[in-house]
Amino acid sequence: MIRFDGAGKRHPDGTIAVGSLDLDVPTGRITVLVGPSGCGKTTLLRMVNRMVEPTSGRVLLDGTDVAELDAAKLRRGIGYVIQQAGLFPHRRVIDNIATVPYLLGQDRKKARARAAELLELVGLAPETARRYPFQLSGGQQQRVGVARALAADPPVLLMDEPFSAVDPVVRAGLQDELLRLQSELNKTVLFVTHDIEEAVKLGDQVVVLHEQGRIAQLADPHTLLTAPADDGVAAFLGRDRGLRGLALRPASTVDVRPTADGLRYGSWELTLDDTGRPIGWIDRAADAALLPAAGYRPATDTLRAALDAAVLSPAGVAVALDAEGRALGTATREAVLAALSAGLPAAPAPAGRTTTGRAEDAPATDGDPDGATGGR
Amino acid sequence: MNWLSWLSDFIGSPDRRSGPDSILNRIAEHLALSAEALFYASLLAIPLGLLIGYTGRGVTFVTATAGATRALPTLGLVTLAVLLAGVGDTAVLLPLVALAAPPLLVAAVEGVRDTDPDVRDAARGVGMTHRQVLLGVCLPSALPALLAGLRTATVQVIATATVAAYVGLGGLGRYVIDGLATRDYAVTVGGALLVVLLAVAAQLFFALLARYALPPGIRAQRRPD
Repeated sequence: MIRFDGAGKRHPDGTIAVGSLDLDVPTGRITVLVGPSGCGKTTLLRMVNRMVEPTSGRVLLDGTDVAELDAAKLRRGIGYVIQQAGLFPHRRVIDNIATVPYLLGQDRKKARARAAELLELVGLAPETARRYPFQLSGGQQQRVGVARALAADPPVLLMDEPFSAVDPVVRAGLQDELLRLQSELNKTVLFVTHDIEEAVKLGDQVVVLHEQGRIAQLADPHTLLTAPADDGVAAFLGRDRGLRGLALRPASTVDVRPTADGLRYGSWELTLDDTGRPIGWIDRAADAALLPAAGYRPATDTLRAALDAAVLSPAGVAVALDAEGRALGTATREAVLAALSAGLPAAPAPAGRTTTGRAEDAPATDGDPDGATGGR
Repeated sequence: MNWLSWLSDFIGSPDRRSGPDSILNRIAEHLALSAEALFYASLLAIPLGLLIGYTGRGVTFVTATAGATRALPTLGLVTLAVLLAGVGDTAVLLPLVALAAPPLLVAAVEGVRDTDPDVRDAARGVGMTHRQVLLGVCLPSALPALLAGLRTATVQVIATATVAAYVGLGGLGRYVIDGLATRDYAVTVGGALLVVLLAVAAQLFFALLARYALPPGIRAQRRPD
């Protein structure tokens, strides 16, 4: 466990980066520090591996004040991933990954064998090993950065905006990959980002920071989205936090009508190809062209994806797919909404709300952050 | 007499083929002297420059003074060195080292300072010691700058090593000085031309070295993302 014990940092010119922070970063979980630039989140992260020395208070790693440890040795035992990857340009990928094992005095062959394993673990092709960093895309460089951090199998991983410099699609892929890795490795991860979306997606515990490292709220992502501590946090979370909260809930709770029970909804019919994959929606009443069928995967997707698919569908019906993209069945908007309400605390909703829930007034009251926090 | 016939006179003379005044011998002397000066200059300037660049201490001093030292008159330095050290190798080496050291020093300082700050940060962050960061990360990344500095220094030293002849030493300067002394301008022009050719050859040599001898990841540089 990492413990910040009144940790503070005052620069020589008198400006205060972090006032005084008390925080526990639990073992084996991902803790995300999130906040606007200048809130001291990076400073806090860098205190852990002594890239920054606190001017007051302490940082404890499993009970030991890190200031008592040799900085270089301490760092070799802590994985460190930064925004621009920071790979060594003159070293091949394999030797970049093996950096820490080399520093620890492991022989070359063993270190490289370990590096090759990690290359595979982070999802890079074996032939990447012989490449130089400049030959890789930004996303691949970040993967190498993560592999380098994991090479000596450190129990703690510090990640400083590791995915901010890549485009959104690649970023989402890297985030998924991190979650997959974490489910296998169970590292103690301290992750810094300014992107609340990323914080909510990755964190077991999210720490929202104000300026000078004051904690505005410390909560699990679901609590954060549904019950922000104050207007400031609510504003930081953004307007559609209710919707985004759906991304934390599995789509498997939606009732699916199996394909065998029919694919017709009013005049709309879903057509499938020979392998059972959806081709599109056809309007039998009109002689119109086929419209695309939006789908989601109940096994892996979130409620947000299911809702999105239902909203996109011309028939108002989302298609549930298996891992191979074959249609398992269909889920109506009503079924999706029923699944949404099932997860909410029992609110005194007007009678019949779940069936008439498509009325225009629903988002106006639910989406207003002032209304939501005013009631607290 | 035009300069082409001067040249054929110069090259055609039997003295140029063998013996102490042969072209090959003079070139060898010239190169040996230049190499010696460059060696001492590197030994002095590169480690110092790496340290200054890494710590960031004394950078202003280096950039301010390095430019000024280029204005030092070499011939004046030779005279001074002769007065101080007497006639001999030292008298020539001193000014040549003084000539070669500043560009090497600046190259080392700038090369280290131009190391990608993210790479330096990562190097520290994974647990390298200062020494390991400097030698294992900053030095490789400074290689292109160092090579460029070495090229500048080499060309200047080769061009200037002619002064060795003033104090009675060998090298291609002999042709220039002796030619002037005996009013044998063919020899003077031939000697001067050889110095130019040698300097150009050195330029080419370093261009090739920069192209083929640098580590691939350094040679290619980072591409913009």
